[in-house]
Amino acid sequence: MPASSDSTAVASTSAPPDAQTPLAVEPSRGAWSLSPPENASATGDRIDALLARSHGFDFALAAVMLGWLLVAVLRFRGARKVAPDGGTRRSRAWVLGLALGVFGVVDGTLFLGSEGYLRDVLWNLRVPAEDPRTVRIEINAHQWSWEARYAGADGTFGTKDDVVTWNDLRIPAGVPVWVQLVSTDVVHGFSLPAFRVKLDAIPGRVNQTWFQAAREGAWEAACYQHCGTSHYRMRGMLTAMSPEAYAAWLREAGRQAAQTYDADDTAAHWGWAWRTP
Amino acid sequence: MTPGALLRSLWTTDPQRVARQYLWGGFLFLLVGGLLAMVIRFQWGWPGQPVPGLAWALPESGGAITPPTYTAVFTMHGLLMIFFAVTPLLFGALGHFVLPLAIGSRQMAFPRLSAFGFWAYAVGGALMLASFVVRLGPASAGWTSYPPLATPAFTPGLGQTLVTVAVLCVGVSAFLYGLNFVVTVVRCRAPGMTWGRLPLVVWGLFYGAVLNVLFVPVLAAATGLLLLDRVAGTQFFIAGAAAVGGGGDPVVYQHLFWLFGHPEVYILILPAWGMVGDFVAFFSRKPAHGYRLTAGAMGAVTALSGAVYAHHLFTSGMAPVLGRTFMVLTLLISLPAEVMFLNWLMTLWRGSVRLTSPMLAALATMIVFGLGGITGLALGAVATDVPLHGTMWVVGHFHLTMGAASFLAVFAGLYFWFPRMYGRALDERLAKVHVVASAVLFIAVFGGQLVAGYAGQLRRLYDPYQYAFLAHLLTLNRWTSVAAFLLGAVQLVFVVNLVRTLGWGRASEPNPWRVGTLEWTDAGPAAVVLRGPHALSQPEVQQQLGRDWIGQAEPLPSGGLAAEPVAPPVPGVEGAG
Ligand SMILES: [Cu+2]
Repeated sequence: MPASSDSTAVASTSAPPDAQTPLAVEPSRGAWSLSPPENASATGDRIDALLARSHGFDFALAAVMLGWLLVAVLRFRGARKVAPDGGTRRSRAWVLGLALGVFGVVDGTLFLGSEGYLRDVLWNLRVPAEDPRTVRIEINAHQWSWEARYAGADGTFGTKDDVVTWNDLRIPAGVPVWVQLVSTDVVHGFSLPAFRVKLDAIPGRVNQTWFQAAREGAWEAACYQHCGTSHYRMRGMLTAMSPEAYAAWLREAGRQAAQTYDADDTAAHWGWAWRTP
Repeated sequence: MTPGALLRSLWTTDPQRVARQYLWGGFLFLLVGGLLAMVIRFQWGWPGQPVPGLAWALPESGGAITPPTYTAVFTMHGLLMIFFAVTPLLFGALGHFVLPLAIGSRQMAFPRLSAFGFWAYAVGGALMLASFVVRLGPASAGWTSYPPLATPAFTPGLGQTLVTVAVLCVGVSAFLYGLNFVVTVVRCRAPGMTWGRLPLVVWGLFYGAVLNVLFVPVLAAATGLLLLDRVAGTQFFIAGAAAVGGGGDPVVYQHLFWLFGHPEVYILILPAWGMVGDFVAFFSRKPAHGYRLTAGAMGAVTALSGAVYAHHLFTSGMAPVLGRTFMVLTLLISLPAEVMFLNWLMTLWRGSVRLTSPMLAALATMIVFGLGGITGLALGAVATDVPLHGTMWVVGHFHLTMGAASFLAVFAGLYFWFPRMYGRALDERLAKVHVVASAVLFIAVFGGQLVAGYAGQLRRLYDPYQYAFLAHLLTLNRWTSVAAFLLGAVQLVFVVNLVRTLGWGRASEPNPWRVGTLEWTDAGPAAVVLRGPHALSQPEVQQQLGRDWIGQAEPLPSGGLAAEPVAPPVPGVEGAG
């Protein structure tokens, strides 16, 4: 199976492609590739390893099940000698023991692996909270686009230099990105497949997650919760830039935002208090 | 026939006739839901191109699927299949038919509830079909109908409202037969039909009925409040821009919906498990291995089923303590499932396996359910659920368990009981072709979905190839679609079989499968049940009667008790008689 290649990634210096243009992209991988989307996240390899292990279990269990069934049917089809009972105490004990064993190994591995990842990454918001380099982004999901807000060079939300982009997420590579997620209309699902990030955007709620890009490049953001007719076009691009390029972009975008700032435009002044862990 | 007489014949309280009404109703909606599935598959294989033969229905686009049509199609496919096809076929048709007969009761506990339940279902079904022809089309908010999308602000039109009422109607029907089945099994068993002598299919129907009684009202609550949000201006589930003055919480709906929605998976699969357990024993000609363990395991799954539902909400931003709890509970449910599965495999072992059509269908159910269950493991743990959540992996997983497994179980049951239902046996060769081809193609179709989901394809995308990271999946999806069309075509084998048998079939033997359960060996109203359902290949029966089976209520000439006790009592396990 071919490993995922980098052909979907775009160099960080080029402008992100217009996310609403239908694509005519050459397939980046073989049609029968069983690999998950390319991993661009600094922590994604942990989740991928656990996923791969779980699929290893899937194949092993399926092989045992099919093998047992096939052998039993072939070997005992129309057999003359039949066990006239529902098993012995011993055979039932075997069933219980075997089930417990499989349960312990398979479910135990998944539980422990998952628990470690949750503790260290997914539900550990202390990482972005305690890292001084952390970049905070507020994302407001709409039918059918992603509105992203950056604090601007002053580092504070709700000021003149707040930068707003549509379907165009920009982050510096190599530092934690802390996302606060809401929706104004219906339930949307924010996902960054290349970052193993997935979180609902629900009206009336503020959800948080964080991730970190392992390298520069551009990847797609998608909506995974059915949110109406154009759900399939709720596509955004996430561009991971070098920290210097990101700072330069934010400075310039903030300068332009400050020029067009309108204190009376209340619709533009959304933002939520950051709930720190 | 006068209109009055016609009406009287439609209003029937005879469970077997109610069963036949549900059977034809279920087949009708299986056909509609199946055709909608073909449309979805066409769209994913040949996005935006005209569907051959559909120009009459979609004149503006010349038969091509547009995004609004597509959302309506997948919404209606899900609703029709779950509420109007598979559940009614399993409970309404096979349940009403076999449950009273198998426990030695001629009637249901509440015969008129059966009739009323069918008509609630029929009215719901009519509303579903009517929604196709109203302005703005049928429902399009997904089968889960998450608000606020399902409220009029985002899905206007009568169709969505009609469908919401239809789900309430079918909920009434499901609650009524659930209640009826529970009371029937508790109160109407023949003398001697102890809990430990129930066929496993009765256990499955009983547990499923308990879940109906417990959790269908939760669905009714969610759907009823949603209906009020739609028609009465309430705001139970509306928040954000659509909420005027206050508003509610969309997440409450999600909790209510899945508190029903996850047990619904077991409502569908428990009767199927019961049939597999029985048929594997019948056609291995030996008692089911670990009968009490199996019944107990099914009970454990039933008990846990409502306690795992929130794994559907792992990505909703729930509190970590809830996430962890539901992860543990979800993983825990695989333990009883494994016990039950191993018991089936042990039943085959050292039996005398006969590959009849019901047996092939039961084995196929086992395989597709096994594959479906295995692929659900990664969805039970939070960390592995996140990348797979909302992808085609989930679609493949639940189509294998709820779709393929319950479909094949319906046909296992139908091929098994058809001679008892209609007095004629379906053609075995055609039945076997139908079952084997369906099973292979089910695995091809839903296997293709699993692969697409692992590669990241999100579900419910009108055109997945809008995304660069999914563009390479067109070939895979196209082949999956071809397999799906073949699967649809193979169902013609069943139709041919059915028409041939009903039109020209010969009368079947009274007990063609040579088994002892009461629906085949009913000894009359005063019969006393003497033994369990799987008294097969008992040495003393073979000596005295010269056959390898004996009726559950048939006295042995010497007075011995064949196949009792099946097992020494297992402490703490349900089902001990
Ligand atoms: Cu969306």
